[in-house]
Amino acid sequence: MKAHPATESERNPNRFATTRWSIILSCARSGTVEEEARKALSDLCRIYWRPIFAFICRRGYSVPDAQDLTQDFFVMLLEGNLLSLADPGRGRFRSLLLKALKNFLIDKHDQAKTKKRGGGMQFVPWNDWMAEAPSQLSVPAREFENWPAERIFDLRWAATVAEEALRRLAEECESRGRRRMFAVLSKYLTADRLDVSYANLSASLGVPETAVKRLLHQLRGRFRTLLREEVSQTVKSPSEIEGEIRYLCAALATSADRVE
Amino acid sequence: MNFCGLTDSPASIVNEFERCRCGSVTRVGYGLCLSCLLRSGLCPEEPQTESFDAALAEIDVRDSEWRLGNYQILEEIGRGGMGVIYRARQRHSRRIVALKRILSYHSDSRDTLVRFQREAEAVASLDHPNILPIYEVGVSEDGLPFFSMKFAPGGSLLHGRKVFRDKPRQAVRLIAKVARAIEYANNEGILHRDLKPGNILLDGRGEPLVGDFGLAKWIDATSDLTRTMTVFGTPGYIAPEQVRGPAGNLTPAVDVYSLGAILFELLSGQPPFLGEHAIVVIHQAAEKQAPKLRSIVPRLDRDLETICARCLERDPAMRYRTAGDLAEDLERWLEDRPIIARPVLPPVRLWRWSRRNPKLAGSIAACLILAAVGLVEKIASSRLSAILQRVEIAQRSVAVTSFEDLDEILTTSNSARSMTSAFTAALTQAKGIQLSATPHQIAEDVDPWRSEDWKKIGEAGNARMVLSGSVRRREGKQRVAIHLIETATGSVVSTWLQDGESGSDIAKALTTKISNVVANTKGTSRDTGAIVGRHDWKPDAIGETNNPLARSYCDHGKEFLLRYNLADLDRAIESFRKAVEIDPNYAVAYAMLGSACQARAQTDPTRDWLAQADVATAVALRMAPMLPEAHRARGGTLRRHGRLRDSLDSYLTSYELEPATSRSAAMLGDTYEQVGRPDLALRWFEKVARRQTQPLFADTLGNAWTSLGDYDKAEKAYNSAIIFKPDLPVGLLGLSKLALFRGDYKGAREGCEQARAKYKDNPEILEMAALIEFFSRHFPAAEKLYREAAAIDRAGGVEFVGSVRYLSAIGFIQKLSGAHAKDGKALLEEAHWLDEKELLSAPDNLRHLYSLAANYAAQGKGEAATVCLDKAIAAGWIDYRSTMLDPRFDSIRNDETFKNALSRLINKVQEMRRPRPGR
Repeated sequence: MKAHPATESERNPNRFATTRWSIILSCARSGTVEEEARKALSDLCRIYWRPIFAFICRRGYSVPDAQDLTQDFFVMLLEGNLLSLADPGRGRFRSLLLKALKNFLIDKHDQAKTKKRGGGMQFVPWNDWMAEAPSQLSVPAREFENWPAERIFDLRWAATVAEEALRRLAEECESRGRRRMFAVLSKYLTADRLDVSYANLSASLGVPETAVKRLLHQLRGRFRTLLREEVSQTVKSPSEIEGEIRYLCAALATSADRVE
Repeated sequence: MNFCGLTDSPASIVNEFERCRCGSVTRVGYGLCLSCLLRSGLCPEEPQTESFDAALAEIDVRDSEWRLGNYQILEEIGRGGMGVIYRARQRHSRRIVALKRILSYHSDSRDTLVRFQREAEAVASLDHPNILPIYEVGVSEDGLPFFSMKFAPGGSLLHGRKVFRDKPRQAVRLIAKVARAIEYANNEGILHRDLKPGNILLDGRGEPLVGDFGLAKWIDATSDLTRTMTVFGTPGYIAPEQVRGPAGNLTPAVDVYSLGAILFELLSGQPPFLGEHAIVVIHQAAEKQAPKLRSIVPRLDRDLETICARCLERDPAMRYRTAGDLAEDLERWLEDRPIIARPVLPPVRLWRWSRRNPKLAGSIAACLILAAVGLVEKIASSRLSAILQRVEIAQRSVAVTSFEDLDEILTTSNSARSMTSAFTAALTQAKGIQLSATPHQIAEDVDPWRSEDWKKIGEAGNARMVLSGSVRRREGKQRVAIHLIETATGSVVSTWLQDGESGSDIAKALTTKISNVVANTKGTSRDTGAIVGRHDWKPDAIGETNNPLARSYCDHGKEFLLRYNLADLDRAIESFRKAVEIDPNYAVAYAMLGSACQARAQTDPTRDWLAQADVATAVALRMAPMLPEAHRARGGTLRRHGRLRDSLDSYLTSYELEPATSRSAAMLGDTYEQVGRPDLALRWFEKVARRQTQPLFADTLGNAWTSLGDYDKAEKAYNSAIIFKPDLPVGLLGLSKLALFRGDYKGAREGCEQARAKYKDNPEILEMAALIEFFSRHFPAAEKLYREAAAIDRAGGVEFVGSVRYLSAIGFIQKLSGAHAKDGKALLEEAHWLDEKELLSAPDNLRHLYSLAANYAAQGKGEAATVCLDKAIAAGWIDYRSTMLDPRFDSIRNDETFKNALSRLINKVQEMRRPRPGR
């Protein structure tokens, strides 16, 4: 056993270099726009379209207009604008995206009513994506009504990170024929040990209690790894993962999401 | 997408939510707290002593209850004609496969095995990229054969079909590929014969794989192996000639038909023919022209309509000759070339050419057309968003529809109206409910229990939910049944039954419950499909099982039950028994067992069946008091016990709990006919007829018309009974009885003879034959036949055909002959005693009362006879023709009291024939 537990990425430093945001940044640094970077950006957009859409909606656009604007925004990003904006010196994907989005909306506002959505390019196949990875996010209506768009963006971002990690965990279990196990155990991912009735779980899964404990432990560990991996895709270096998660936690907490 | 894009579903915005231990209320999937999930990523990672993979692999969490051969069953993924399909893992290679297993309800398992291996052999011989490869054929420990095949991760079209709804090109491309695969199989001499969305699987890339050549047979094979198969295809997708003709005459055109039906469904969102029962769909397909594709989705290309119509021609000779021809036409359409199915008009040809050659066709005209197309799409999408917004606003809106009075089967009766206003008033004041402005009056001839209708009502009232209800008198109180229906899906969210003194009491008692449900119901997906098929298994549903095997036995039992013949009835009973053996808490299976056993009691007069039915029904009711099937089964057993009024109550309860299926309505019609209310019976049958065009209850409908004296309608109904219940003599017997009532004894005998030639030893035919001779006063012949019948069932003769107890008739004839007068008297006394005994348990049974009256008359007790006949009339006896024809009344036929009774009967029937109030 190692004396100092190391994170996965620390153990395997090469692995981190391949995350999407770092690819984009390294391209931006060298001033070239490579196919690889475009692919990485497009993958990120495919996952993080919801926060953008939610932000635009909160800015008062109708749903159809917000859909159109989201499409346009992605098209603009993929045409290279974000890459030119990307400042290797600072930045997480999230904050840069929000900044770009705000600028984009200001530009759009200036052009308002003078130009219809052009080109007919579609980046977000809404229905397909929603069918593939539906969001189960539920929020309290009363508190939500007063949140500013930035908080909506952060909340939606946090939910996307967590749901993406959950989705990948479910897929991993599924691919190993453990779908039922995931279905039974997943609700206890965050549960306090005292709240879990291992006896019931043992009965419903048909395995000994000790095995249930071990499985749940493994499941939590794997989720943690996947969550960090997901976050790592949007930051520059491993040292930023912790900070990014803390930021998202704080965003949630300040979003009036606590008992007053 | 809703609430400013934050959540997927409008119902995900909730006011009250359980707070997590951490104080946060925001949740994601599986009810997990978002805040806690994120923070779990902050904990320092622990050293991993074992990998996640290793931990999962090491611990054998059984995804299912059993293994088959070398395979571990992971989950059920589908059901085919002959068996169930599972996702399974091969034990050693750990390869995931699909595994199809046949169920053991066939008596001759060797025969089944041979058939099954044939099936596997047929598929294994095929090698085509769009045909699902088969790996292994085997037999499991319990002797059931199975085979394993490639697992298609994309599921089947059954679940994926929605995706194609607005993508005609993708749908056409897919079906063209499938058609090519079928062309290949057909050329190899194999017909698929059971093509349907569930049999078209999708691989990881969305490419189609045709599976389940369950009915494939060698075109040139002479054996009638598949001909005798108990399951012959899937209604809605099989060609009409598959139902009618001998299997040997089938051609590739049957597969062309199925391909057309699937294409039709992908493009329009619904199969060409819809209906609650398999037999309804089959009948429609055989009798009616398929609807035009564009009558459902007008914006689709006319050529697609032509292609579908060509496939769905009833006459196989009119269809595409081969699947290859169909593929050819589909490919032509994809390439914008003219299709072969029909010559196209010149302007269309030009338009196609312009699309193929866009550079050459840069004419203003073409641009104009393109612009117009773009505009249409834009309009369609803004209409969609408008609907979504309206739904958002109408989150809590409820529309109250007019109540139905089940005593009158009317929505316009006083009690129905006052109940509607009571609920409207109560809900107006309820918190959390926004009542839609005006109660929506449902027209008498509309049956809202179809999802589309609820949708319309919801849209008309701008309401998310509709409250539908019925009212009837029950034990001196009012019984109200309420259903809360989500209009978008047509699904019932909640059901209540409530008894009370007045409408306002009942409405008050239910208001809080209703508003709670309205506030707490999350929106279900609007795309879940309007019609919930029999195979859409909802394990959480009331009385359902979690055990797939038990469930599958129960499903097969239900299929057997629908076939209306004795052998399959026994198979049904066997299947239900197995289901409850596997899961002793499976209430639905108990209820079905009860229904099947009481049906069996009809053909086998020993009371053993009825006792079994009683037990099974009681168990089902105890386990699930709100289970409609259980009440229906109870209705059936009570009816067999002769307790017709109680049986009505059970059937009404069953209808109240589940108005969406027509079975309870049909049984109500049937039973009202039995209690001498053919007028009400007809109203229930009308209700049934609105849901299914095919008259499954045609014989009882015929009886109702006979009772009301409309012989032409009765004849028509009996004729359709002959077609639709080919395994039962009911249609022919009805016609025979009709002839008898018309005084046409010759015709009556002929009908009976015909039935006898076709159905051999059937007690009902024997009874009918005896009745004809008895009523036509051919006593020696009548006596011989009644003796034959009495030898089978000494206590019989009151339940089914006429109400002449065998012993009473024999006794009467013997007494009349003089030679054996003493024996005759004894028999009449025994008959009397039998009726008295029956009346102990069912004092208001009109048939037993009538039988007793006739028996009194036969005994020469005229006064007792008329008193008893009066009682029978009061209980509902209306069959004045039998009363006129029955020779046992000859001794008192000229008495004034008897004449009076008879004229009262005739008046009563005429009264019932008057047009219905409120129309």
